[in-house]
Formats: sequence, C-alpha cells, structure tokens
Amino acid sequence: MRRKLPQIIVAAVGLIMFLVYFSGHPTAQRVNQTILVDYWQIIFAFTLIVGVIGFARSNLQQIQRGDGRFFRIVSLVGLVSMPILALIGGINAGSPFVWMFDHVQAPMQATVFALLAFFVASAALRGFRARSVPAAILLLAATITLLARSDVGGATIAWLPETAEWIRAHPSMAARRAILIGIGLGSLTTSLRILIGIERTWLGSER
Amino acid sequence: MNSALSRRLAFAGLFIAVTVAMLIPSEGDVRVAPETRQLYEWIDSIPPGSQVIVSFDHEASALPEIRPLALALLRHCFERDLVPIGVSLLAEGTGIGFALMDQTADEYDKTYGEDYAFLGFKPQFIAAILSMGESIPATYPEDYLGTPIDSLPAMVGVTTYDDVVGVLSIADGSMTTHWVEYGEARFGVPIAGAVTAAMITSYDPYLASGQMVALMGGLRGAAEYEQLIGIGGGGSRGLLAQSVSHLYVLAMIIIGNLLWWRARRRKGKESV
Amino acid sequence: MIDWGTIIAGLLTLAIFTFLYGDNPIYRFAESLLIGVSIGYFLVITWQNTIVSLLIKPLVSDGRIGLIIPLGLGLLMLSRFSSRLSFLSRLPIAVLIGSGAGVAIPAMLDARTLRQIDATIAPLWTDGGLAIGTIVVVLGVLTTLAYFYFSRAQTGSLGRISQIGIYFLMVFFGTTFGYTVMSRMSTFIGRMEFLLVDFLRLTQ
Repeated sequence: MRRKLPQIIVAAVGLIMFLVYFSGHPTAQRVNQTILVDYWQIIFAFTLIVGVIGFARSNLQQIQRGDGRFFRIVSLVGLVSMPILALIGGINAGSPFVWMFDHVQAPMQATVFALLAFFVASAALRGFRARSVPAAILLLAATITLLARSDVGGATIAWLPETAEWIRAHPSMAARRAILIGIGLGSLTTSLRILIGIERTWLGSER
Repeated sequence: MNSALSRRLAFAGLFIAVTVAMLIPSEGDVRVAPETRQLYEWIDSIPPGSQVIVSFDHEASALPEIRPLALALLRHCFERDLVPIGVSLLAEGTGIGFALMDQTADEYDKTYGEDYAFLGFKPQFIAAILSMGESIPATYPEDYLGTPIDSLPAMVGVTTYDDVVGVLSIADGSMTTHWVEYGEARFGVPIAGAVTAAMITSYDPYLASGQMVALMGGLRGAAEYEQLIGIGGGGSRGLLAQSVSHLYVLAMIIIGNLLWWRARRRKGKESV
Repeated sequence: MIDWGTIIAGLLTLAIFTFLYGDNPIYRFAESLLIGVSIGYFLVITWQNTIVSLLIKPLVSDGRIGLIIPLGLGLLMLSRFSSRLSFLSRLPIAVLIGSGAGVAIPAMLDARTLRQIDATIAPLWTDGGLAIGTIVVVLGVLTTLAYFYFSRAQTGSLGRISQIGIYFLMVFFGTTFGYTVMSRMSTFIGRMEFLLVDFLRLTQ
C-alpha cells in the first residue's frame, strides 16, 4: 500500500488534469483551478519549505561536528535575518528586507555570474580548437555571431549582421527545432510511463 | 605557457579591456536587429489603456542584463499608457520586478493600483500559468503588498488571459518556454519574450512557428530598444565594452588555435 | 550622507571577485552569506505569496474548510525528516507528479511537437523561386532528428545523414556559444558599471 496508493493518486490526478485540459466547461474549470491552486501550488510551497528546513538542519549538524563552523554560522545568520527583517519592516519597497535583497543578495548573485565571463575567456584561449570539421563549423558560427553583434565606433562589416541573422533563423533554428521535437516526444512518453505506472523511480527506495 | 599563468593572463586581459572600454565615452547609433524592432512594433501597436502582463521570470544573477531590458520595455509601456500587470514565476524576480516597475512608474507619474499593479510570485510556474488562464483573481486574491486585487482599478475587468493583450516574459532561463507551452498553447494568449542573450537561440523555433509574437534579448538588444524609444540606459552605456569583450574572446580563440597549430606542427616535425 | 548600501554592495562584489585569484576565506564568507540570505528571501516570499495568501487567509478568514486537505498533504511533506514515516511524503509528491504529467502530455504534444512539425512543413518553391531558407530548415530538422535516432546503428546512409545533422547541431551550438559569451560579458559589464560608476565614482 505504501507504493500502490501513491501510484493510484498519480494516475487519478494525472487523468483528471489531462481531461480537464481540453474542457472549457465550468465544472472542469473549477476542478482544474482547485487542483492547480489549492493542491499543486500549496503542496509545492511546502516542498520548498522542506528544502529550507533541510538546509538549516544540515548546517546545524555540521556546526555541531565543527565542519567549517564559521561559514555555516554565517549562512544560518543570513537565513534567519531575512524572515526577521520581513517581520519587523514588511516586504514593501524601502523596507530593511528589500534593502538586504538590493544591497547584499542581488549584487553578490550577479557577481557570481559575472565570474563566468572570465572562465569563458579562459576557455576560449585554452579549449576551443578547430580539431575537426564539426569543431571548425562551431567556431565559425560563433565567430560570425560575435562579430555581427559587435560594432566599435559604428564600424561593422555591412553583410555580417544579415548573414548572422540568416544563420540563426535557418540552420541554427532547424537544429534547435529538432531538439525541441525530440524533447517533446521524450517528455510525452515519460509522462505516459509515469501515469500508467511503468516509471516508478519517483517513489524512491522500496521501503 | 603553463595553464595557471595563461588563465590569469586571460582574466587580466579581459578585466583591463572592459575597464578601459567603460571609461571611454561612447556614442552613436547601432543597427537595430529586426527582432528588436518586431517587439517594439508589437508594444507600439497595443491600444493605450490596455492591460498587459509583464512577467519577471528571472533571478538576481541576471540582473545586469535583465535590468536594462526591463527598464526599456517598461518605459515604452508607460509611454504608451499601457497598464502593466507585474507577476513573477521566480521568487527573486518578485523584488526586482516590483522595484523596476516602481522606478519607471515614478518617471511617468503613474500611480500604483491605477496605472499599474504588481501581483507578485506564485510557486510552480506551470500551475501558476495554467491557473491564471482559468482565473487571475483566484490565483492572485491579493497583490504583492497584500491588497485585495478587486480593489485595484488597474485590475478592473481582468479575469483571465482573454482580458489582457498578451504576456511579456522577461526571463533569464526557460520560463518563457512555459508561457508558450501552457499559456499560448492552452489559452491562446500572445507571448513576447525579452530574454538574456544566452537563452535567445532556444526560443528561435517558437518565434519562427508563430507561437511567440516577438523576441529580443541581451544587453545589445536593450541598447537597440533604448535607441528605438529614444531614452538611453544601461544597454547603450555598455555597448562599447560589450563589443570590445566580444573581440577579446575572438582574439583568445585565434591565439589559442595559433598556439595549438604551432605545437602540433612542432610535434609532427619531431616525430619525423 | 554616506551611502552604506552602495559601500556594502561594492565590498561584497569585490569579495566575490577575489575568487578569480583562487578560493579564499573572503570569498567563502561572501558565498556563505549569499546562500543564507537567498534561502531566507525565498522562504519569506513563498510564505507571504503562497502560504499566507492561498492557504492561511482563505482558511481562517473565508472559512474554506476544504483547504485542510492540501494543508494536510503539505504537512505530510515534513515526514521526509523521519526515516520511519518518510513514505507518507509520497502522497503529496504523487499529487505534484500526477498533475505535472497530466498537463504535460497535451502541452508537449501540441506546443513542442505538432506545432513545430507544422511550422516545418512549408512550400519549398514559392513565387519568388526556390525557398532556400525553407529547404535548409527542412534538411536541418530531418538530419538532426536522424542523429537522435538511436534505435538503429548510425552506419550506412543513416550514418551519412546524421553526419549532416551533426553539422547543423554545430551551427546551433556555435551560435548559442556566441550569444552565451554576450550574456556572460553583459553580466560582467553590469557589475563593472556598478563598481566604476556607483562604488568608485570613476566615471559617470
């Protein structure tokens, strides 16, 4: 029953959602809305909270063990400070909560991503080699794209932007479209396998 | 050259190239890509007073690229007297979206609740998109600030996607895909995207098939859009540095390949 | 007046940039703080915009008793912290997986597959003559799909066709690489703009 009941729920909810997708009937809309808002979103919010509790628990355990104690404490202080600030000043513009987001979280997060610019430059120097025909094609497409989107002081090669746009809209788009079709068919079959109970990995261990 | 040294040299070169380019004042027009013009014309064709959903589907990590894009688009929306309704499919997009709408609304003397609204974040993007298609007030009984949305004049008459002209998704990942696959496919709501450059090619098939009405992206896209609306911003300011950084990466690729060819030839001669 | 916000943001930005020299305690401090604050932010927004707005207020103020069921299912998620009771969390997960799979079937079939196939089927010959662009798209889609066809060995004619598919894929990867470079550089430029203009005030 520990595995059967969840499988029955998956099949039942999946079938309902599949059927109401095609219906505009008010009852179908109500059912759809109930499952989407009252069940899906609320349960999903709890899964996120479980993640947060898990993070705090694992950090506390590591603090007790003495692994990177200082940095774990910093993480936990950061975690606790946000709800406290929200409780004190709300989440409106100008509140301490928003101040922390604007001046602590957002700048650091953007900078972590900015680091990637350096690794891209380093990879360009040390990794991108025209070792084969496919690799040469990749490099050529990348070069045309980059040159077409660069103009220093208005200087650019006249035919380049249009060539780059043609490449993006035709051969590049065609490959992406084939990938999309492939992913679409793959997702479709995986969903069907889940609903009819062939795919059960989501249930976890046998216990 | 040893690998740690070559990596540090590549880092230092990029840092110097971009810093110098940013200290040089740059002006001048850029060539506007057809895709940017298409988005501009789509927004320009919307009748004043119409509600349009602006979805901030991004995180703070993409803020340097997203901010100029979002500001240019919001300025165009307010300039045209459209009524943007902000939502977010990612938690971090919430604070950013609210601040950007607040800032641009101030520039155009727009009043919160009357000329624009911000509904906030709902988790599980597919559920959020589908449930808004059934009922926006049921999905968002309150706005971001906790005000019941039926008390906001900006939300008058907005019940489902049928009551808005479309969705403008400002995204740094695959969230626009979900708007297309669930919003457009299920409810037929027109979807336009303003995305980070890294994601733009992923959406090309949707634009080509007509599942998206317009698509633009990147800092360069923001610069082009700023030129179309005639208001400079982060896109235009960073344009020279952007071009210099592209050329720098190309130079790295060329130098890397030349070094590799030379090493290969040397090895070939030694083996003969 | 001292703008503490900009000073703190600037110092934290520099702290993250120190990673370029190598992993170090300053970077690890900033990273730990970022992780904690991000999760805290996420918790507050989820609590405020979902748990309060969609659950607590309708349940308490509007008396929507039916919401006790999703509340109960949500609370069952907490059973994951007990090895003895963790099987109970399969019930709410089943609701999530079932709803996702149910709506994905029509969406994937329609938006990703049929609409894309439909857009590929276009006249190869128009009033203006041979539609080169359309021919390239049709060829690209078919050959790339052939490359992803793993039910038969990629030899003989299938191998040659899929080789062409590889070339199309390389064009896509090359174009995407070009745009990815743009994106990463934009992010770096954005941070440099903050450092040079707002933090150091070296330029306007």
